[in-house]
Amino acid sequence: MSVHSEIEEKGKTALNQILEASSLEQLDGFRVSVLGKKGTLSEALKQLGQVPAEERPKLGALANEWKARIESAIESKKTDLESQKIEADLKKTRIDVTLPARKVHLGALHPITKTIRKISETLGRIGFDVTTGPEVETDFMNFEAVNIPKDHPARDMQDTFFLGPGVVLRSQTSPVQMRTMREEKWPIRILCPGAVYRCDSDATHSPMFHQIEGLWVDKEVSMADLKGVLDFFAKETFGSQVKIRLRPSYFPFVEPGAEVDVSCAICAGRNPHCQVCKGTGWLEILGAGMVHPRLFELAGYSPTEVSGFAFGMGVERIAMLLHDIPDLRLMFQGDERFLKQF
Amino acid sequence: MKISYNWLGEWVDLSSFKSPKEVADVLTARGLEVESIESQSKGLEKVVTGQIILKGKHPEADRLSLCKVNVGAGSEYLDIVCGAQNHKQGDMVAVAMVGANLPNGMKIDKGKIRGVVSMGMLCSEAELGFKKESDGILILPPKTPIGWKLADVLGLDDTILEIKLTANRGDCLSHRGIAREIAAALGLPLKAPKVREFTGKGSPIRIELDAGEDAPQFFGAYMTGVKVGPSPGWLKTRLESIGQRSINNLVDVSNFLMFEYGFPVHIYDADKIRGQVIRVRKSKSCETLPLLDGGEITLTGEEILITDGERPIGLAGVMGGGNSEVSEETKNVFLECAEFNPTLVRRAAFRFSRRSEASLRFEKGIDPRGHREATGRLMDLVVKLASGEPAGEVMAELPSRAGFKPKTIETSGSFLNSFLGTSIAREKMVGVFQSLGIGVEQMGEDGLRLTPPSYRLDLTIKEDYAEELARTIGYDAIPSTIPVLTGAPKGRKGDPKRHRLVTMDRIKDALSGLGLREALTYSFQSEAWLSKFGMKSSVKILNPLSEEQGYLVPSLLPGILRAYQENERHHFGSEPLAVRLFEVRPVFSFSGDQIEAKGDAETGVVEKFRLSLLLSGPRLDQALKSERGEVDFFDLKAVIESLFDQLKTKGIRTRAADSTILGAQSHLYHPGQTLQLTAGKDPVGFIGRIHPRLESELKLARPVFWGEIELEPVMSLTPEKETSFKAWSGFPTMERDFALLVEDTVASESLVQSALKSGKPIAKVVKIFDTYKGAHIPEGKISIGVRVIFSDESKSLEEKQVDQCAEQIVQKWKDEFHASLR
Repeated sequence: MSVHSEIEEKGKTALNQILEASSLEQLDGFRVSVLGKKGTLSEALKQLGQVPAEERPKLGALANEWKARIESAIESKKTDLESQKIEADLKKTRIDVTLPARKVHLGALHPITKTIRKISETLGRIGFDVTTGPEVETDFMNFEAVNIPKDHPARDMQDTFFLGPGVVLRSQTSPVQMRTMREEKWPIRILCPGAVYRCDSDATHSPMFHQIEGLWVDKEVSMADLKGVLDFFAKETFGSQVKIRLRPSYFPFVEPGAEVDVSCAICAGRNPHCQVCKGTGWLEILGAGMVHPRLFELAGYSPTEVSGFAFGMGVERIAMLLHDIPDLRLMFQGDERFLKQF
Repeated sequence: MKISYNWLGEWVDLSSFKSPKEVADVLTARGLEVESIESQSKGLEKVVTGQIILKGKHPEADRLSLCKVNVGAGSEYLDIVCGAQNHKQGDMVAVAMVGANLPNGMKIDKGKIRGVVSMGMLCSEAELGFKKESDGILILPPKTPIGWKLADVLGLDDTILEIKLTANRGDCLSHRGIAREIAAALGLPLKAPKVREFTGKGSPIRIELDAGEDAPQFFGAYMTGVKVGPSPGWLKTRLESIGQRSINNLVDVSNFLMFEYGFPVHIYDADKIRGQVIRVRKSKSCETLPLLDGGEITLTGEEILITDGERPIGLAGVMGGGNSEVSEETKNVFLECAEFNPTLVRRAAFRFSRRSEASLRFEKGIDPRGHREATGRLMDLVVKLASGEPAGEVMAELPSRAGFKPKTIETSGSFLNSFLGTSIAREKMVGVFQSLGIGVEQMGEDGLRLTPPSYRLDLTIKEDYAEELARTIGYDAIPSTIPVLTGAPKGRKGDPKRHRLVTMDRIKDALSGLGLREALTYSFQSEAWLSKFGMKSSVKILNPLSEEQGYLVPSLLPGILRAYQENERHHFGSEPLAVRLFEVRPVFSFSGDQIEAKGDAETGVVEKFRLSLLLSGPRLDQALKSERGEVDFFDLKAVIESLFDQLKTKGIRTRAADSTILGAQSHLYHPGQTLQLTAGKDPVGFIGRIHPRLESELKLARPVFWGEIELEPVMSLTPEKETSFKAWSGFPTMERDFALLVEDTVASESLVQSALKSGKPIAKVVKIFDTYKGAHIPEGKISIGVRVIFSDESKSLEEKQVDQCAEQIVQKWKDEFHASLR
């Protein structure tokens, strides 16, 4: 057999073997057995010394051509085999991606906290600062400092828990007003959120609940300013389409006093069977008014120098409206089914 | 307060209103909030009068009758099944037609009763809402017209307004008072009845005022020949329409006057007054008085008493005595219309639990100039309704009343406008004030001198007049402005109060970020519940709603555990319950003898904010069962450590808390699974597993991990300033791992602390990465895997240097903990 045909023969055999290789290891074996130092093609080339010199370049070229063909065949087979292997692995590593995720527990803030923050943030934007005070208060701070002296009929308005002579659980956040005014000079622009207590318990009353109260004291503060602030608050909280309505009312610590309604954001007064506003078109949300001059006297301010307004609202009431909470009692039960939702 | 629309119409012309609703709107806009408007005929729209033409037997039921009822021309006779027994053929009855919605909530449908179609119902008084209970159906008088609306026949044409009066408007506690408001709003005159002139002369009974300013005036009238009997229909209708029961003509007259004029009055049987004198004085302690409701009270010395020549005969402003009350035999009466100190009336009414419509009006204060007219009106009514003959009048008043003048104040149009933010012309203000009966004197260009009518003594300062002005022009007419920010800005940075608020917010945010839910629990718990936790509150509520809420909490743990139990109680199914709660609230304590106010602002009760935490149930919210895990101590520890990491709180130390360290709290926490937290040397709380004994006492379904931490020390260790950037070492770190064999009572954290100390300055991080007990480890020992990471900010470490340091560390472990390397 001539060298020529031997190269051809060995080359063809090698190509066939490569094509039929079934694994990367086998393929590598073929590469060594054909192209390695002692491989068949190399062996065949060793015989080049025995052929006439003028044939050598031709045979050399042939041998290199085969070498290249084989190498390229190995490369392409290798790609094939690698891709087959990945395919096979994919099947093995398939998982059911619809199985449940490894989900961590999500935490939540109480709707009261969220509501206090929302209100504080809204009113903070027009200059209010948050401050707080104690929940156990003196009778003086809780009542007399807000112009409700002993035996005043207004004491009937709220049933107060007593802890000892002259000591009560505050029935309103108003004491913080007096504490702040006695500590600081005007102008005063504060919000006082916090827990308050009254002897009352049913679906709409809780013996402990929360209020947030606002106080603004400066020279030449007017009732129009009060309206503007409340209007801004209502629109920011319930939607820019809502309106407010002030109705004359009486709280001993303000004069004039007002109860404040917002128009029903759900039905805008169009649904006589509306569950939220009971068909009235209005929701009572807070009490407000111009600070009674008696409070300024007690605070050591001169009533002729300053005027101011104050407003107060039940946080639960606002939270219930914002989050559609049907029952006040849900707030204080620590029920995960409730707390998780916020 | 109930106001009858028809009655109101006698005092002011309501013809310009289309409906009671319009009147209600006017009142509400003026600050007299109308809470409800109820038509008396509500529910009676489809109830008509009818006559039983034929009463037959129900074919299927012995107890039922089948009636043919004539309900008027234009309608066929109706077949109606009736279960009552008190009716007969020819009776006039009230027929609820098909479609009626009766006041008691009953709906009338066309329906079969035991197989027979009934075309309506014959009504009882209970079904018509007239009484709570009634026997049989209502039988109307024989002359009742047939086919009329029942409401028309009975004269139920009134509408009742329920008004929620504010505490300052005692002047509106009557039909006259409400009418005055409407008249002012519309600029109408008041339709007052003509009243006899009170002469104040000729009474055989004299008055002595001996209570000083507590009883400054007393008007009396002696009347003879009264005939006590039932009141006429119109009077009964008036009183019943506002929910008052008719008793007899004399009692009804005094009630009528009270609801009409707002003046509480009293009528004595004049023949029972001994000694021809009425003396008003303060009571003496231990004196007794039989009241007309049958009770007897023992007085305290603070009440105002009405006495005759011999004994007390009435508790002023609250209730008359049983020894002087009118009866059916009464012939001669003495009328009382007086003024008493509102505070003393209020206290007496409370003290003897006898608050009434009368005491309420005294409490709110009565027009001090209106007694003369009210007494005249009362006399007129007694003449008209009880045939009484005026036989002498008497009055007594102190100088403070004889010369009484309401307080005048001075203000200005510009003040009122600036205060309200309005621009109302002074002439318009004058008109408004005059419509309210306020005396106005204009001074100069801008000034106003204002005097209230005697029934509006609540008007004392210029702000009161601003309100009168505002509510008359309408609060809607006041513009809306945003107030100007004035003065130097108040920066709150560095303010400790602000820092506390901000830090508490950060704590809440961090914990909710760590998968806990914020709970809010009541600040009060029962003594019994607290004692389950070995706790006793030092702050008792003197008037709790119930024993359940008797004490302010000394700890948040009882509350959060109750919340846990609530969750367990309503949990069902095989899904494990996850409870992950935290609460930030104050606890309360008092260390003196008696809680008592000191000065204006001190109570002595200490409020300290705490954080409570509770974890229980699966570690993951959702995952396959095998992967979901169950929380244990280390989950709770992770929450706390992550919290402090987030807050950048520095200086909270921890140590294992055995029973000795737990001390008073040793029944709350598992002594082998609890960590104490300290700030410096001060303990700030524990976190750990609930003590298994408590767990079983409370019958908890699964282990609970909980803790409670004082927040004040934590907040003071939490920096307010912003985090400063720290550069890290650019040089590679080196590590050494050790397997240490130590006694299993050694706290691993102490190995860490020891290495950090002995490996200074290059041992930067020491970590426990594994523990092992079991095969090849002797009993009582444990193998602990510790990794020490060495680094230097300024250069690369050399092997030799690290080896040397490691040796020092190991030597220290050997010395301090008898540790050996495995």
